Amino acid sequence: MKNVLEVEGLRVEYRGRSIVDGVGFSLKPGESLGLAGESGCGKTTTALALMKLLPDGLSQKGSIELTPEGAEEPIRIGKRTEAGMQVVRWRHISLVFQGAMNSLDPVKKIDLQIDEVIRLHEKGCSSKEVKERIADLLTTVGLTPKLGSRYPHQLSGGQRQRVMIALALACRPSVVIADEPTTALDVVMQAQVLELLEQLRRDLGLAMILISHDLAVLVETCDRIAVMYAGRIVETGTIEDVFTNPQHPYTKRLLDSLPVIGGTRGLAPPIPGGPPDPGNPPEGCAFGPRCPYATERCLTVPELREVGSGHAAACHFSPWSSWPEVEAAGLGVRK
Amino acid sequence: MEVNDLAVTFGTRRKQSRALDGVSLEWRRGEVLGIVGESGCGKSTLARAMLGLQETSAGEVVLDGHDASGRSEKRELRRRIQMIFQDPYQTLNPRQRASAIVAEPLVVQGVDKSLHQERIIKSLEDVGLDPATYLDRYPHQLSGGQRQRVAIAAALVLEPEGLICDEPVSMLDASVRSQILTVLMDLQKSRNLALIFITHDLSLAWSLCDRIAVMYLGRVVEAGTAVDVIEKPKHPYTAALVAAVPVPAVGMGTARALLKGELPDATDLPAGCRFNPRCPKVFDGCEKVDPVLTDVAARGQRAACLLYSGADPSGRVTVPPQTVPEDSGVLDA
Repeated sequence: MKNVLEVEGLRVEYRGRSIVDGVGFSLKPGESLGLAGESGCGKTTTALALMKLLPDGLSQKGSIELTPEGAEEPIRIGKRTEAGMQVVRWRHISLVFQGAMNSLDPVKKIDLQIDEVIRLHEKGCSSKEVKERIADLLTTVGLTPKLGSRYPHQLSGGQRQRVMIALALACRPSVVIADEPTTALDVVMQAQVLELLEQLRRDLGLAMILISHDLAVLVETCDRIAVMYAGRIVETGTIEDVFTNPQHPYTKRLLDSLPVIGGTRGLAPPIPGGPPDPGNPPEGCAFGPRCPYATERCLTVPELREVGSGHAAACHFSPWSSWPEVEAAGLGVRK
Repeated sequence: MEVNDLAVTFGTRRKQSRALDGVSLEWRRGEVLGIVGESGCGKSTLARAMLGLQETSAGEVVLDGHDASGRSEKRELRRRIQMIFQDPYQTLNPRQRASAIVAEPLVVQGVDKSLHQERIIKSLEDVGLDPATYLDRYPHQLSGGQRQRVAIAAALVLEPEGLICDEPVSMLDASVRSQILTVLMDLQKSRNLALIFITHDLSLAWSLCDRIAVMYLGRVVEAGTAVDVIEKPKHPYTAALVAAVPVPAVGMGTARALLKGELPDATDLPAGCRFNPRCPKVFDGCEKVDPVLTDVAARGQRAACLLYSGADPSGRVTVPPQTVPEDSGVLDA
């Protein structure tokens, strides 16, 4: 099957500093990719760059090619102008924003908000058709169509998040990006929304990019995962490979910090320090200053290279066959 | 500390919302207690009521065997029990330096001024902030994790015996989260501090708490040791919550029974057991009888569910006093 989305060498700059660097991945129809990492690692910036929605001052380079089903030629998003993007955005690729449940227009009923999206992108649609589409969409995301006549404040957080997903699906895109879709929801709502995303992917054959800082959320919903750190992908592979056999110290330490019910109780030693300041990046490997295994060699930037079939890591020492014990406060060789 | 039949009601006389409806708990010296449940189940209201920050309509808060509702008792209570909140971006005064934020409790409680500096410095050191660097910083000069550390330093400067943490890490990233939790658990151990974790993160509660109380619509529906409650839940609601936890392991949790719907309106509680409209195990009696907490298993595990009831005719709703089993402490990392 042909890839629906191919990203290569994506770089986003702000005043000459790179925020995202060398990000590349591909996506097949019906496949879901998880983008993991902490605040400020470039997950959301990557998503915005894919939509060409970066705020002023940020510039992007690199190739982004989208091939919707049935299309002969790929859409080269990287080269599109703003006017050219308007016929692509929401129609072929859509984004559920972070904190989306608060981004509905508070003075418009739900119906009208979905109505606007459909009419803007599909001008030929008749009123009757639009109405049916709205009812269909609401049903698809598990809401009763009569909720459409409500205002956002009359809905719960979970319901609003479902409306946002309906909006993203309104023009039947081939790729949906969901940025932290469940972060503001509690555990029960989170499970419901994840289940919905999974079901949509299965039923509609959507390709999905799911962005989350919560690795446990990604393992349940994604086929593959890319872990980002300081603007770069540091590890990528199938969920199974990355979770059972992590090959980057950052991934390993993140996974160790997750409590697993039925596993070992108590806390694993935390990763010391914080992510690097993008204005003053460390020499060499960006994770070096926090890495318990760092040596002289880490003063050069490690390339993302294959360590197994479809499994790549950006660490000089991978593949790791075992992980030496780490002291709680154990900092690397260099500070 | 003991809480007996605590109730909190919001709203007007005509339309009342029972945020807390007869909650009883016991919180022992040095114990780590988890209070878990969905948004809106009354977890935070309970914490506020325990500290006298929230008017209660019934019930009592008992500290060391004395009712803590009077003015001077409340003052004493707030010296001995402190609280930290979810959002470190909103709880720190943006116009105060870290030193002033940490000093505030000392001022309020009238601690001798000559002792302030020393105690502020010790408190910052205890939470892993270098006083020389951070004393003069304003909150906007701190990261989320550093802010939460300052909040903890302020809460600990009076050397309280108990600390209530309302979703202390839910806004923080994974690596910062484990740093903050490590700070809290180290303090818990070194000072024999009693902790309450209010959280909707069941795996976190399971991993750190000695005992857990599960709340639903203003009531405790299950309580017991953390391991018992999470690994062998008795109440269908607890079981459903546990099933909703995403499992960070491959090939698990694919087919799970999801809890349908959302919390009912607290102004219009369902008749009988308040969980019955969403309960997968609902049967005939559930719409008629409001179940009370009864013993359901060893080590004081109790649940309020008709599946197990009939054993407690007295109808008292209590989480029984019990000794914390030796093996339920936090493991040495």
